Amino acid sequence: MINELKDLCLLDGISGDEGQVREYIISRIKDKAEIKVDALGNVIAFVKGKNRSKNRVMISAHMDEVGMIVTYINEDGTLKLSPVGGIDPRVVFGRRVTVGKNNAVGVIGGTAVHNLSAEDRKKSVPFDKMTADIGCKSREDAQKLVSPGDSVRFVSDFVSFGDGYVKCKAIDDRVGCAVMLRLIDEGLEYDAYFTFVVQEEIGLRGAKCAAYTVDPDYALVIEATTAADIPEVSGDSKVCVLGGGPVISFMDRHTVYDKELYALAFETAKGNGIPCQTKTRVAGGNDAGAIHVSRGGVRTCAVSLPCRYLHSPSCVIRESDLENAYILTRFLLDRTCNR
Amino acid sequence: MDIKEILSHLTETAGVSGDEYAVSVLAADILGEYGEASADRNTGCVYFKRSGWEKDKPVVLLDAHIDEIGMIVTYITDDGFLKVSGCGGLDNRVLLAQQVTVCGREKLIGIVTSTPPHLEKDSSMAPETEDIYIDIGLSGERARELVDLGDRVLIENCLAELQGGRVTSKALDDRSGMAAIIFALDKLKDKKLAVNVAVLFSSQEEIGERGAQIGAYSIDPDMAVVVDVSFAKTHGESPENCGELGGGPMIGIAPSLSRRLSEDMLRIARENHIPYQTEVMGGKTGTNADAIGIIRGGVPAVTVSIPERYMHTPAEVVEISDIENTAELIAEFLESV
Repeated sequence: MINELKDLCLLDGISGDEGQVREYIISRIKDKAEIKVDALGNVIAFVKGKNRSKNRVMISAHMDEVGMIVTYINEDGTLKLSPVGGIDPRVVFGRRVTVGKNNAVGVIGGTAVHNLSAEDRKKSVPFDKMTADIGCKSREDAQKLVSPGDSVRFVSDFVSFGDGYVKCKAIDDRVGCAVMLRLIDEGLEYDAYFTFVVQEEIGLRGAKCAAYTVDPDYALVIEATTAADIPEVSGDSKVCVLGGGPVISFMDRHTVYDKELYALAFETAKGNGIPCQTKTRVAGGNDAGAIHVSRGGVRTCAVSLPCRYLHSPSCVIRESDLENAYILTRFLLDRTCNR
Repeated sequence: MDIKEILSHLTETAGVSGDEYAVSVLAADILGEYGEASADRNTGCVYFKRSGWEKDKPVVLLDAHIDEIGMIVTYITDDGFLKVSGCGGLDNRVLLAQQVTVCGREKLIGIVTSTPPHLEKDSSMAPETEDIYIDIGLSGERARELVDLGDRVLIENCLAELQGGRVTSKALDDRSGMAAIIFALDKLKDKKLAVNVAVLFSSQEEIGERGAQIGAYSIDPDMAVVVDVSFAKTHGESPENCGELGGGPMIGIAPSLSRRLSEDMLRIARENHIPYQTEVMGGKTGTNADAIGIIRGGVPAVTVSIPERYMHTPAEVVEISDIENTAELIAEFLESV
């Protein structure tokens, strides 16, 4: 699963430009599922299990990642940017990126720190003061390679470090995609709908339409969520911790989760000896926010991987959490289908 | 000789101020082709005398600094995170969520911590180096086994080509200057010169030009050419304050420099149709020329700088043609004196 996660994370798929990820997923499951790609680009896959499910169950992860988009080509050949998804500008300045269909290599730059006033040196660089520099010397040169609307993606290696940690861009939410692909590979007890959705990072848009189409009784959302288990953060502010197992939320900024499913998740984890934790802050949000209010309402549970430095080019998770999230999801899916 | 290849090797090797020896060995090895080179383990400096050294000829010193900006480990927390201090003037605006390499007993990968939005309401301020931690994914006990206080930390970024003959990497400041000097020596290979050519790749420039001070004292030159990088115009900046990428070497003119050498450089550039720019500074230069100019009884010095964008970030950018033209100017200068 970790090798597949690496392959998935290194694909580029800024919100609205998820094609690479979509093609990868379709190529992986085309022999194992009935696949439909909807108008937004969501992959909706019906996967047969050994038995018919008592309920219509949808399991969902998003394919898109945060990044930037080219809004304008300056006369000097540099590119103006807008963020796509919620990115702290401080994790963008000074990064290497690729731009557009031609994968032009660039860097995100601005005025050298030495040339700023003492006051400005202390400030971060806002998006409107950054440019992507692909080396072109004029607008005409740049226009041959890039256009407004092109995606700008972080270059970030997939690396293992420390005691079982991995770092890459796009872990949010390729971990969800990796868990779902493995579920399909290993075969299901019950029929289920697997949705790989677009545009989560700009407002849970793909999931809304996928949920409408699938019209499920129950939904499981597989995600990555913010962990702040770093120095100088204590108690509830940590939200969740790496190594503590998958995270089951009771409430976040978009969803109050189904109480029975919440209890069922913990009971399932306990019964199978899987570490599991909840979030100690009402923070973040995910596609459950769109899915649970789809049509007349959907009973929804989110299984999330604790992730440090979310929405940066250096998302960090712990491998053991990935494995445990997979195992818990597998049990939970069976139990939800068979309720 | 392929400048990009040399530059790629020079930039990928770690050499944070005060811990330059690995890159010193590499540079001495490259210089060995042109004369007698040695890497000094104590100071991190590389000393070089060009072949054909004769006792009574005047000595021209070519200097570029070998160190790069980075950080230094100052503390290890009980849960295995590292605290750091700056080692050189790293641009703090690039720090959050950066992947770094900790040069400890073995090389370790780490990530600079970044506070998530639910705890950090204000993203308008850059972090202070003292406020960040390095996450190396180890327990406190394991971290203390593998990391010592004083170990250097750097942001790695290998050389990559951009459009327009431009390249990006960490440490182009001042490995580009080193590459220009090496390229100049290559152009002059087997040529007889009226001067002895010494090269100093000096350590600890970024923390106060210390390698240059002791290195130039040891060499005792008659004149010095200091090759560093300087500011190239970025988007929205005024041309009054900066050079242009691709505009050629920036020849320094300053009260602290030798006006005669500055004028020689300008004349040589014009005579040989080498593109150049002038960089006028009102006092000192912020380069090794400040230190070298006042060693022993004083040394006439001039700066020749390679224009660079995004200085002191891991995403520095230079244009290869500027390095080539800098090398050309240095070679012509050495032939003319």
